[in-house]
Amino acid sequence: MSTLLGFLHTAALAAVPAVGFGMAFNVPFRVLGWCALGGALGRGLRFLLIEAGLPAAWATLVAAAAVSWLGVWAAQRLRAHPKVFTVAAVIPMVPGVAMYQTLLALWQMERSGVTNELLTTALEQGLEATFIVAALAVGLAVPGLFVYRRRPVV
Amino acid sequence: MSAPGTPTRRSAPPAEAEQQEITRLCVSTGVVLMQHGAESALIETLMRRLGIALGVDRVEAGIFANSIVLATLCGNRSVTTVRRVEDRGINMNAVTQVQRAVLDVEEGALDAAGYRARLAAAVPAHYARWILALAIGVSCAAFARLARADLPGCAAVLAASAVAMYARLRLARLHFSPVVTFFFAAFVASSLAGLLASPVRLGAWLAWPGSATTSPVLASCVLFLVPGFPLINGVSDMVKGYTSIGLARLAYATLLAAAAAAGILLSMALRSRWGLP
Repeated sequence: MSTLLGFLHTAALAAVPAVGFGMAFNVPFRVLGWCALGGALGRGLRFLLIEAGLPAAWATLVAAAAVSWLGVWAAQRLRAHPKVFTVAAVIPMVPGVAMYQTLLALWQMERSGVTNELLTTALEQGLEATFIVAALAVGLAVPGLFVYRRRPVV
Repeated sequence: MSAPGTPTRRSAPPAEAEQQEITRLCVSTGVVLMQHGAESALIETLMRRLGIALGVDRVEAGIFANSIVLATLCGNRSVTTVRRVEDRGINMNAVTQVQRAVLDVEEGALDAAGYRARLAAAVPAHYARWILALAIGVSCAAFARLARADLPGCAAVLAASAVAMYARLRLARLHFSPVVTFFFAAFVASSLAGLLASPVRLGAWLAWPGSATTSPVLASCVLFLVPGFPLINGVSDMVKGYTSIGLARLAYATLLAAAAAAGILLSMALRSRWGLP
């Protein structure tokens, strides 16, 4: 039950930045709904996969690939390239807190000297952020890499 | 319905003047797509599909970090042209309009003259600045909530990100370099969120509780500066074989992220000087 609630909470919250970023990328108004759906699907699916015990980066890869497939499906109906809304839809999965912790740790090391804890934080958080960002970008490319190899989606 | 990418064939091959016009149309298509943030595979495919649908035999294109070279081939005649591309900011509305016009040409619903008119009429629509600022404020507040910030923290993020986004859009309008814009917006967002996250007493009755979760608050308020499009287009270009432009995009994304990080660091230094979170 708490997993279901967590899923709904995460998915609903994730739809908001997907639409916000869609607007920042000037996605046409009628396509914003797909941004919201993609954002909710991506972050919600990643939540479930992490709950099931998958590492964050692999969960992100699967979730981003799922968003990209949704993108392909919608693109053929909208006569628009999938990237038009899938980029906004994966933005809610950007590891903001990990990136911030890395920056903070680096700054503290620069200011008051390197300690074991700070170095550990910087490395762990930095690696996690890097892996998740890479997984997002590669996950989005999955349909193009495996199915739409030499033919266009739209 | 035919599969995407298979145009209706024309009968007669185009004359030289006509081929020059087709070349110009193809390269203009690429320029508009590139200016507004389309990935290289889409730019090249749409230029080629348009040229072939309008009647040339082949379209060869080279896409560089800030220019496009394009040649159309027809029998043993080749017309080549180069255009410089300047960045106009991400606009998926423009990309969608151009793509739909190319699809119409492929389906035979539009000829060269009609396509030129459509391309000229395609005005990239923008959302109003204040609506965008508000949407970004709410988005970053949702990010903060996802990172388990408390409600006053989310309110602080909403205000800080909205103000900083507005500042960013104003600066972009004044043609400042995105590097400057990102630095300044990160500084504003970070400083405002830091100020609003600390508790304030305004007289006996009025008090702002501040936030007990400063880490997610300060992390979320700058997330609207994540260079998502250059980053994802960069990787996507690299895996599709456009290595040089992919590297250029990734370098640009790194530069923007570094500018934002510098803004955050300056704000951190000033805040720690005055004992704020």
